[in-house]
Amino acid sequence: MSRPPLPAILALLLVPAWLVCGAAHGAAPPPIAIVIHGGAGVIERSKMTPAREASYRNGLAAALDAGYAVLERGGSSLDAVTAAVRTMEDDPQFNAGRGAVLNQEGDAELDAAIMGGAGPRAGAVAAVRHVKNPIELARLVMEKSPHVLLVADGAEDFALEQGVALVPREYFRTEQREHELEEARRAEAARPAGTPTTHARALSGENSMGTVGAVALDRDGNLAAATSTGGLTNKHTGRVGDTPLIGAGTYASNDCCAVSGTGQGEYYIRQVVAYDVCALVRYRHMGLAQAVHEVVQVKLRHSGGEGGVIALDRAGNIAMDFNSAGMFRGARDSHGRREIAMYHDSAAR
Amino acid sequence: MYAIAIHGGAGAVPRATLSAERERFYRAGLEAALDGGYAVLERGGTSLDAVAAAVRLLEDHPAFNAGHGAALTRDGAAELDAAIMDGRQLRAGAVASVRHIKNPIDLARRVMEKSRHVLLVGAGAEEFALEEHFTLVPNQYFRTAERLGQLESEQRGERVSDLVPPSPHGTVGAVACDASGNLAAATSTGGMTNKRPGRVGDSPIIGAGTYAKNGVCAVSATGHGEYFIRAVAAHHVVAAVEYRGLTLAQAAHELLHVVLRGLGGEGGLIAIDRAGGVIMDFSSEGMFRGVRDASGRREIAIY
Repeated sequence: MSRPPLPAILALLLVPAWLVCGAAHGAAPPPIAIVIHGGAGVIERSKMTPAREASYRNGLAAALDAGYAVLERGGSSLDAVTAAVRTMEDDPQFNAGRGAVLNQEGDAELDAAIMGGAGPRAGAVAAVRHVKNPIELARLVMEKSPHVLLVADGAEDFALEQGVALVPREYFRTEQREHELEEARRAEAARPAGTPTTHARALSGENSMGTVGAVALDRDGNLAAATSTGGLTNKHTGRVGDTPLIGAGTYASNDCCAVSGTGQGEYYIRQVVAYDVCALVRYRHMGLAQAVHEVVQVKLRHSGGEGGVIALDRAGNIAMDFNSAGMFRGARDSHGRREIAMYHDSAAR
Repeated sequence: MYAIAIHGGAGAVPRATLSAERERFYRAGLEAALDGGYAVLERGGTSLDAVAAAVRLLEDHPAFNAGHGAALTRDGAAELDAAIMDGRQLRAGAVASVRHIKNPIDLARRVMEKSRHVLLVGAGAEEFALEEHFTLVPNQYFRTAERLGQLESEQRGERVSDLVPPSPHGTVGAVACDASGNLAAATSTGGMTNKRPGRVGDSPIIGAGTYAKNGVCAVSATGHGEYFIRAVAAHHVVAAVEYRGLTLAQAAHELLHVVLRGLGGEGGLIAIDRAGGVIMDFSSEGMFRGVRDASGRREIAIY
């Protein structure tokens, strides 16, 4: 083994001194943090077996730790949210990527968005059917195209141009989601005659759950947000929710905060939820938790919209709030906080 | 006071390239849309009906980049986006990437009124149109010789579309305030000439190109869509007025000349406040626009 170069030795010698000085002057190293959600909606404890709960917790922990590991080794917040969301896309329990809910034609139709707070920069895809990890395609849109949003076949064409291998639609389907689709179809067949098809409610029980998302803050102080979903069970083909719409389900700006939402997308679109959280912080000078509370517990609740929001600011403040029965969520930061929660009574401190 | 404002796109519109005859053609199209929308308000109609009427007329007019005469994708097809929003209950509807809908603004409105959704895209949106008994039209309907010429020039690497109005970032839109004080906004576009199929700009994105909120304002934007999406442009104006108490003029100016300019994007917007006051601002060389209100104001302008 060769001798370490002089600068490295000096750096090693300087580290303890810097730590001591930092402590003496109260200047902590810049915080890093990541917050994730795996969807909000009805989580009835009575229907949640210990085994299922453990399985969800494991899925959330894997995503949280995958994202945090990126930050810990000095990676960017964009890489961290991508890693966390990709992990949940690959986990069939969550409504994104493999295991996404199925539309009226029995296919998964996927939406995703990513936004980096520096710039800000953004990329999104909607209504794609053959992209294994939609969050990675959203990121390619951000980095390799002059556009922000690509949809449907055009988005998949772009994927091929970028060397992304497409997967057959079967890849996304799971027995559980096929069963849920059957149930939704039965419920729809039982609806009163004359109701327009698209009026039929698809939001029932866990069907409305499971959009996944992450927000992160890296050592350089850059924020990022990412969200990915299969939308609603038995949804109309071509229906796009809030997830891939910048400002609605996903938003990040280094000027204020990073936000990812999950819930009844139409309400999130109409109220421009993610951007509104930032606007309240920036213009009404609310604290992050207060702004999230105002949007989720006052504005969304007042309009009848159900769901939750996770948010993170440059100081490392974390907010996780929801007006539904539960929200799968997790948070981890450089102050040693690491938690996974599902219900209200285990809500974030 | 009831009032309506319209735009037919913003961009580089050098006077030299716009012949007197062409200018008359554009002005006539703008006047017809403005008066069509205003007539709805005058007979006591809603702002929602007024913006839909004005935008439909602009979609049908071949000069503007929406509906018939829309800009063409790199495949030579028209691919259309539109959104409408009712400021009363923040109801909204939008469609993106449709290829066979004669008046996308009508389908956007149908999404708002007859579906539980806000945004439908691509073939699924056209399936919904069929369920709602819309007659689809062949894509040929949208293509004009002028747009094919622009596409060919663009594909040869010439940036001539910047010189031939309307600009490559043209879009049409309308905002209105009716006698009851209800606000509405509508926007429709073919997007950018030579765009990648599937590319969606700000027009159909609620909060980016289109937004309306009673008691605050209604906004329709036109310009380089990607920048307007990242800035959440329309909602930026709304939040600036609602949360910071800026005037509509200040909010629009800040968005266009500070925020978007900082990002490197240009374009314009029209906006109307709850008293029927209209702002039409742009950072580009020109914007096709018009305003008409109950006090007798009626104007059409380009530069």
